[in-house]
Amino acid sequence: MSIAVIILALAIGCYAVAVLEGWAVHGRLSLTRPATSALALLGREQILPRTSDRLFFEVGPVLLLVAGLLSVAVIPLAPGLIITDLAIGALFLNAALAYVLVALIMAGWGPNGAYGMVGGWRFLGQFIAYAMLIVMPITAVAMRAESLSTTQIVLSQAALWNIAYQPIGFVLFVIAAMGVAWLPPIDLPTGGGDLAGGVEAEYTGARLAVLRLARLVIIVALAGATVTFYLGGWLGPWLPGWVWTALKTLAVAAGMLALGSRLPRLREAKYLELSWKLGITLALANIFLVGVIALVVPI
Amino acid sequence: MMDLSGARQGLLRGFRGLVAGAMARDLRAFVVPGEDVANALGLDLDAAGLIRAVTPRHANVLLIAGPLPTALADAASVVWAQMPRPRCILALGEVDLGPLPSADVTAEMSQAGLISGLEDLRKLIRNGAFAPDIAEFDAPALSEWIEYTCPMHPEVISDEPGKCPKCGMFLVERRVSGAAPHAHEGHEGHEGHEGHEGHEGHEGHEKSSAVSTQAEKAHHQSDAVTSAETSASYVCPMHPEVTSDTPGSCPKCGMNLVPQAEAGEHAHHGHHAHHGHGHHAEPASEPTGPYTCPMHPEVTSDAPGSCPKCGMDLVPQTEPGKHGHGGHGGHKHHKDMPAQEGQGEHAAHGAHEQQDAHGAHHGHAGHGAAPDIPGIEPHFMSMVELTEGKPVSPDGLVMEWIDAPFGPFFPGLPGGLQMVLTLDGDSIAGADIKGMDAAALPSGVALEDFAASLADAVPLSPVAMRELACRAAEAATGQTAPKDVLTARAAAVERERIASHLNWLAGLARQVGLFSLSRKAADLQCDVRTAQADGLAEQEGAINSLLTAARQGSFLRSKLSGIGTLKGALEGPAARAAGHPSDARHGDVVYDELGFEPITQDQGDAMARLRQRCAEIAQSLDLIAEAGAIAMPAVPRAKGDGHGMAALETPRGPATLYLTLKGGMVSSTHLTTPFAALAAHVPDVIKQMELADALTVIGSLDLDPWSATQ
Amino acid sequence: MSELTQYAILLGLTLGTVGLVLSIYALARAIGRARAEPAKDVPATAGTLARDPVWVRYHAKYYGYALLFLAFDMEMAFMYPWAVVYREEGLVALLDMGVFLAILFLGLLYGWSQGALRRQ
Repeated sequence: MSIAVIILALAIGCYAVAVLEGWAVHGRLSLTRPATSALALLGREQILPRTSDRLFFEVGPVLLLVAGLLSVAVIPLAPGLIITDLAIGALFLNAALAYVLVALIMAGWGPNGAYGMVGGWRFLGQFIAYAMLIVMPITAVAMRAESLSTTQIVLSQAALWNIAYQPIGFVLFVIAAMGVAWLPPIDLPTGGGDLAGGVEAEYTGARLAVLRLARLVIIVALAGATVTFYLGGWLGPWLPGWVWTALKTLAVAAGMLALGSRLPRLREAKYLELSWKLGITLALANIFLVGVIALVVPI
Repeated sequence: MMDLSGARQGLLRGFRGLVAGAMARDLRAFVVPGEDVANALGLDLDAAGLIRAVTPRHANVLLIAGPLPTALADAASVVWAQMPRPRCILALGEVDLGPLPSADVTAEMSQAGLISGLEDLRKLIRNGAFAPDIAEFDAPALSEWIEYTCPMHPEVISDEPGKCPKCGMFLVERRVSGAAPHAHEGHEGHEGHEGHEGHEGHEGHEKSSAVSTQAEKAHHQSDAVTSAETSASYVCPMHPEVTSDTPGSCPKCGMNLVPQAEAGEHAHHGHHAHHGHGHHAEPASEPTGPYTCPMHPEVTSDAPGSCPKCGMDLVPQTEPGKHGHGGHGGHKHHKDMPAQEGQGEHAAHGAHEQQDAHGAHHGHAGHGAAPDIPGIEPHFMSMVELTEGKPVSPDGLVMEWIDAPFGPFFPGLPGGLQMVLTLDGDSIAGADIKGMDAAALPSGVALEDFAASLADAVPLSPVAMRELACRAAEAATGQTAPKDVLTARAAAVERERIASHLNWLAGLARQVGLFSLSRKAADLQCDVRTAQADGLAEQEGAINSLLTAARQGSFLRSKLSGIGTLKGALEGPAARAAGHPSDARHGDVVYDELGFEPITQDQGDAMARLRQRCAEIAQSLDLIAEAGAIAMPAVPRAKGDGHGMAALETPRGPATLYLTLKGGMVSSTHLTTPFAALAAHVPDVIKQMELADALTVIGSLDLDPWSATQ
Repeated sequence: MSELTQYAILLGLTLGTVGLVLSIYALARAIGRARAEPAKDVPATAGTLARDPVWVRYHAKYYGYALLFLAFDMEMAFMYPWAVVYREEGLVALLDMGVFLAILFLGLLYGWSQGALRRQ
């Protein structure tokens, strides 16, 4: 039952994010565009590039979708409303998101096209930049919650949301999350002006539809993870818990998309440099600060 | 009911009808020649609600904005061929589509034409996206053929196999494509840079990608000659499981199949190991000896299998001396005694000698260090051999480079700019950049027609070109216009400068992913393009706030600062951004009256060019306010003979036109524009840059490929 | 819900996703096949036909970071169990991990000083 509810909520969330993305990129808010686009994509030809690695080419989008859905599985919509409340939920989320990298490299390498290949390998660099900044803030969150279970993590924020308890971690996590979902300005593997579509460039028709759907699922998953780890999940007054989760998730997604359309694309070397010189130092400082606070203050 | 030219096969009913309805509402256009040209022609694509696709794969509308020169029409046919069906063409203006099918909808070149055209297109797609019978699309630019070239003399190209007239070596075959199979000078495709010289890294690399296959072909041919009696079957060098009785290409990777006999005989041959990206040729069908591991020579086996130490596939040992160890004897040695070698060998080594010449070759120091195993070359599969002849990056690593075309229709660059970047990872190892081979300017026509065709040929700055033609004509005929007319004409050029700079800003913002800035700049550009002096005064507030946003955005500043610094011999805005006050307007009587003084920056980097153009927009607004009125240049009437020259500061720098009149008609002309000089700086300035930075730098230069040659 | 059931659900989710994708493909396939035409299957590169294969030894210029990343990723594997019992263990845990992280951070600083943290 709860699985069906969450899948439905995810579908609605993806649609809403697609609408928001249309607004951020094309400057128009249209409620019907994602539906017509998806339907139109189904009717277009699916082209298989010559001399492609068929296995990589086909598996890329599917693996991406699987990775997205598995990470959604550990995000609680409300108390008890979660697909699998794993004891190692936060770690599992991390593991599932690692496949985003694999999927994108496969999708980039598969078609044997220059833009795609550069895009795929660029994403590997991007991964090296964001990976630590996903893991380290989550560690600090787990320190406070004394658990890796996502439900426990939400409950640990009853007195004070983590966004106030560990603001450095929040900022680092959101930026890293934008990297995972290759949202502008960190859309290095696909940037239109840089790589003319990059890893997405050779996908057409239904394969492109699956790829786009997978990306939406990943955006929702990451926005949901941000809400779970930092914004108190379902916690909130007056409204039922699932409404709070949904509202907060959409707000985070909208924030990330709006931020993206106002910033110029980050260069790979710069992103790596910022992440490793500034990001990791801050993330370690965050762990240390949270460690001290957690020992001194009982909340 | 009319079908689309790019309809998909099938009857339009049921689910297909639903899908066709959705497609009609989901138009995604690939803009040819580019969004910059479309904007300069007065189209506001966002206002028309048109979503643009960055690759033909994601597009279903090919939007053709304005006339296309032949080369671009060929490129457009490639784009068209790569769009998935259902696809359709919307042509604006009077366009000769060349090899493309006739446009599904043609509309006039204006915003209203665009909007009505899109409306018609939607109806067409709804009713004609699927059709029972569709015609296959083919065009000359899509054809492929095999030609033969000398590995030593790339300028030698022949349609027949044979020997090189210069050195007597066997010609090797290569697969090429393009629109002009027999005009070898003018290839537009990726092979066009093959014979070009002057970039060291580029050259060296050329050989690595082209030659590794060429050398293979050389082997192939030598085998065909020397061992013709062994009826060899063919095998893919990458996929040993692919075999064929006839020559052809591998269905998995598209590489040309090589005779299997060669794979066996040359398996121990050092050069072979690095063909095909480091994979080595697998054992031949008839092994000549026991099997051994390429890495662990002490491992031998009588049957094929994998090495117990490293798991690699065992390879057959070949009889010592069967082919000699010439292959690794050092290339100098080969240079001395080519006559003793088979021709095929020679061809292969010739290619390596070329790599030598470019310093791309190294790693022979290790020869002889490993124990000699009978039948196995000491360095078989060693890193040294694998990377032999590959280009070396600045960090000393030996990698393979690729040539990737970035144009003529790349979304982050000016439309029509033809560029091939040699990529070492994602940094630039070399660049080959050229504008369009525009049609020669007409001669023997009336002045008015000449000015019109000059303006049409350069869609990014037609007013400046028209003014240039007028000034040259005035100089040739000795006429002068009244002062207020000259001032108003200068104001028209200044208005175009504002529009052009805004259009450039929109393009740069699009390139770096600043969508909202790009939209605003393109929108303003469309308004400014045709505004009168008072209208411009009204727009001043909007323009200034846009410029402030562009100049002061700290993220954009950090992206542009310090990259693409150009100093030295320059002209136009790039020169002024580097601190040289060179401006053709300086000293011009008309501009002096308006109180013109050149503005300069001093850093000379991409950010300085942004600041410079922003300052010039503000300056041009002041000049127009000072002039008071805007008038389009009117061409004087001409009688008799004459000769005149005029120079003008176009939005991209000084342009000069020489004009000779005979009997009132234009008899000969010569136009120089800033494109060539600016484009010549590009390869040096972007060398070793990250791809993203390199494209930003090229974007910041505001190249106009349309004015490339005349 | 037992752990095993949970992982069974996750497996079911994966299979369901694959099933969803296959049914989307089947739907698209019902509309028709792609028609093979000249040059349609060549990867699109901005209007120029580029038939050369691009699978090459790619120069990943971030390899300096990549090597450091390996060290840090290993370290994070130790951090998770530590984080869970952190409050239980108290100050000792802080000191234990503090020393470990300090050494690791010094390693990062050393790598930085040796030029590992730049595009090679």
